[in-house]
Amino acid sequence: MEAKSSVRIITLNRPKQLNALSAAMVSRLLDIFLACEEESAVKLIILKGKGRAFCAGADVAEIVREINQGNWKSGANFSREELTMNYVMATYSKPQVSILNGIVMGGGAGASIHGRFRIATENTLFAMPETALGLFPDVGASYFLSRLPGFFGEYVGLTGTRLDGAEMLACGLATHFVLSERLPLLEEALVKANSGDPAVISSFISDFTQIPNLKKGSAYHRLGTINKCFSRTIEEIIAALEWEAADKKDNWITSTILSLKKASPTSLKISLRSIREGRLQGIGKCLVREFRMLSHAMSGDICKDFVEGCRAILLDKDRNPKWEPSKLESIGDEMVDRYFWKMDVDDDWEDLKLPVRSNLPAYAIAKL
Amino acid sequence: MEKVNFRTRVLTRHLQDSRRLAIAGDISCSPCLSYTPPEASEQPFSFDVTSMRKLMDGHNLEDRDWLFNLMIQSNLFNPKLRGGKVFVVPDYNQSMEQQREMTMKRIQYLLDHGVFQGWLTGKGFEDEMRKLALLEVIEIFDHSLAIKIGVHFFLWGGAVQFFGTKRHHDKWLNATENYMVKGCFAMTELGHGSNVRGIETITTYDSRSREFVINTPCESAQKYWIGGAANHATHTVVFSQLNIDGKNEGVHAFITQIRDAEGNISPNIRISDCGHKIGLNGVDNGRIWFDNVRIPRENLLNSVADVSPDGNYLSAIKDPDQRFGAFMAPLTSGRVTIAASAVYSAKISLAIAIRYSLTRRAFSITPNSAEVLLLDYPSHQRRLLPLLAKTYAMSFAANHLKLLYVKRTPQLIKTLHVVSSAFKAILTWHNMRTLQECREACGGQGLKTENRIGQLKGEFDVQSTFEGDNNVLMQQVSKALLAEYVAAKRKNKPFKELGLEHMNKSCPTIPLELTVSTLRSSQFQNDIFCLRERDLLNRFAAEVSKYQAQGESKESAFVASYQLAEDLGRAFSDRAILQTFLEAENNATDAPLKNALGLLRSMYVLVTLDEDAAFLRYGYLTTENAATVRKEVAKLCSEMRPHALALVSSFGIPDAFLSPIAFDWVAANSWSTNQN
Repeated sequence: MEAKSSVRIITLNRPKQLNALSAAMVSRLLDIFLACEEESAVKLIILKGKGRAFCAGADVAEIVREINQGNWKSGANFSREELTMNYVMATYSKPQVSILNGIVMGGGAGASIHGRFRIATENTLFAMPETALGLFPDVGASYFLSRLPGFFGEYVGLTGTRLDGAEMLACGLATHFVLSERLPLLEEALVKANSGDPAVISSFISDFTQIPNLKKGSAYHRLGTINKCFSRTIEEIIAALEWEAADKKDNWITSTILSLKKASPTSLKISLRSIREGRLQGIGKCLVREFRMLSHAMSGDICKDFVEGCRAILLDKDRNPKWEPSKLESIGDEMVDRYFWKMDVDDDWEDLKLPVRSNLPAYAIAKL
Repeated sequence: MEKVNFRTRVLTRHLQDSRRLAIAGDISCSPCLSYTPPEASEQPFSFDVTSMRKLMDGHNLEDRDWLFNLMIQSNLFNPKLRGGKVFVVPDYNQSMEQQREMTMKRIQYLLDHGVFQGWLTGKGFEDEMRKLALLEVIEIFDHSLAIKIGVHFFLWGGAVQFFGTKRHHDKWLNATENYMVKGCFAMTELGHGSNVRGIETITTYDSRSREFVINTPCESAQKYWIGGAANHATHTVVFSQLNIDGKNEGVHAFITQIRDAEGNISPNIRISDCGHKIGLNGVDNGRIWFDNVRIPRENLLNSVADVSPDGNYLSAIKDPDQRFGAFMAPLTSGRVTIAASAVYSAKISLAIAIRYSLTRRAFSITPNSAEVLLLDYPSHQRRLLPLLAKTYAMSFAANHLKLLYVKRTPQLIKTLHVVSSAFKAILTWHNMRTLQECREACGGQGLKTENRIGQLKGEFDVQSTFEGDNNVLMQQVSKALLAEYVAAKRKNKPFKELGLEHMNKSCPTIPLELTVSTLRSSQFQNDIFCLRERDLLNRFAAEVSKYQAQGESKESAFVASYQLAEDLGRAFSDRAILQTFLEAENNATDAPLKNALGLLRSMYVLVTLDEDAAFLRYGYLTTENAATVRKEVAKLCSEMRPHALALVSSFGIPDAFLSPIAFDWVAANSWSTNQN
């Protein structure tokens, strides 16, 4: 972390692992954020990553290793801390500027999207790939995905599709688009601005922005189809897409169907439910719910797809996960419901308790 | 002296403040009031709001949330960012024409997303309940949208479904569900509304061409208030007297095309606009004249009566009164949906007004202390919390009515007619009263259109008039009760319908001195409501027969006894509503939930005892007992106060469908917000 005038610049520095968040990093970030909030000299926080990634997510390999050693609680406790950090960021009283110059996935999205300003560049690559890992979009994704235009959030969260900087800006995941070559100047300007007023910061960033063109094949051009297909249940979403595909040959639809079919059926079901519930809930409730779901997914008390997905994609890399149950039809509502209940494996396993936040700005109150 | 000092301090602060502001020159940096969300300042919920919502909404919760989402996610529903939150509410500042076009576009969007699937082609219980749930959700967004859809599916579609036979079903139901045709329902005329049998439109049969010929014989026979007719509808069901060979066979329904697919008005039809209204400007109400309009013989909706090709009138029901009754029976669906939607409108306004009263402060009780939250004033509690309890009671009543409607059997038609009439009137009156109280409770903020409550008054006023004027409906309730009474007495048989079974038992006695525990027991509460109904029915029957003994006709005796009829109608409704409440309470198993419901039920009953003069007028309560009841109402207010937020949160209305004053109204009104 560097301190320049009233600005604190935090750099995620683990470039070999694409800045994946380790337990130590999360707890350090949380400490810094809480400390900076207290310190009246700090007005603005800039968060960026070293190398070609902003942050590729949480260190899932580490979590799975723990689970395989029979210690799911340590993985879940990592998430407890991470989600708490997401909450603090979402309700932060000072502006956070995240510079997304590279890969932003999973936990990386959680560490940036909740903040006030998200700057995308031509190098940005965003995805929420959890359903392919047998998990679901967590880190508060049920809050921010559900607030994207139309049913774009469902599409992004369920298929794990990749978005570039232009698409992030178009759908609202990013607030600004700046070419990467101008980033050093932007940083300098923000330091010089020496202000914590969001309006002032926004106008400073605007001096560096440009409007990027959406690429021709962008999914964002397909918002009409997405809205039509993704507003229903998983089974109906797939049926609607297949129906559209029958009409005409279309690569985008084919690959969308393919990614849904490759994903864990259980993940699809709980992810969709989670995003739907998130739409009507505040950020706090979203995180508490996601933590319950994470506890179930990591303890494997309902289904073991998470371990299986990580094995196939991250450890053995055979890319051939054996999902169980393997079909959407065999997953009843009752099984989905259980992900949203408090854990009953253990009496002393607690729900996520979020810190009390006081003196919140209007921007943060609106998220509650 | 204390006062003088206080005033001096206030003035000093005031002057210093303005000087500081002048120097700083930055008003936005020194907020005088900060907003705390009620969720942060109120006690944690004592019961599970999700289970409470389940109890209140009753059915199809997932479908409801799906549709809420569908609307929140589309720009057609006019999302507006205020104070960091998005609200969806129609733009009532648009011209009448623009509002009508928006309504139609929203219908198209809902159609494209499969909202109406199975609304007419579905047959089962599930389909019916889903349809009712989705209509309630639509109504929470905008009454115009719900009415426009309601006219198309429930009135036009319902008429085809219930008055028509297979040939009509095959031709129209599917086309209606897909909006290939747009239907309207031409019943009311300039000269006749509630009295449908008096309409003047006249239809004759031409056996040579095998066609019916429809005519508007005079200006008072023009069809009036026909929703959808002014701009969009392509077809209508026309209600008309049927004249065969010079003999009037009574009111019948015919299908007539009024526009082609391009929107050109059909030959021999004249249509004019009803113009701007105090609400529902998204609905294109129109007037229609028929000038010798010829339609094929098959367009008579012939489930009750038919005309043969050579012009003979055929009906299985010989008695014209009964024929008319059979005809009108399916129209109860309108009253059912109106009653249910009135409750949701009351819920919106209470959720907004109560959330506001938990964040807005006014006046300090002691000098220099913090100002007091509106809802911490007992008088403010007395204004809002009894209405909240009544809304809960009526929510259960509406659920009961919906089930009665969906599970109707021929034996239950009479009960359905009486209960739907009573509940439609009582629930819509309650809504209007609640809206006015909530509007006032929000002070000036209640006047802003964006805060919804004031606008809802205009939008929902019509509910006390359409599908049967409330006063007329209440008279029909008393009339039906009297008929039941006369039949039971004459045949010397026990009562077994309309919930009058309690009249078979001995008359309940009310203790001379009411204690607090008696007041809160469901036994006493049920007893005193039954006592009032029984006594008023006896009095009403006695008065009507007294007039008849003086030589008055039954009808004029009835007209003269209007005061008792009015009291009796209310007595029936209150008792019936309480019974639906007790039923709902019995179905709840969770203890904290049961406690909250018990509190609400006591409030509902006691505030009714406190407000309805009939209890004192006819001596069901002594003046001492009435005073005890009044004290207890105040006590119940203070007991309900801690649950206020949980109770409105249980309505399950997403934040986006409330309004800026229900949330951070300081941010929503800040300088920077208004500049954007």
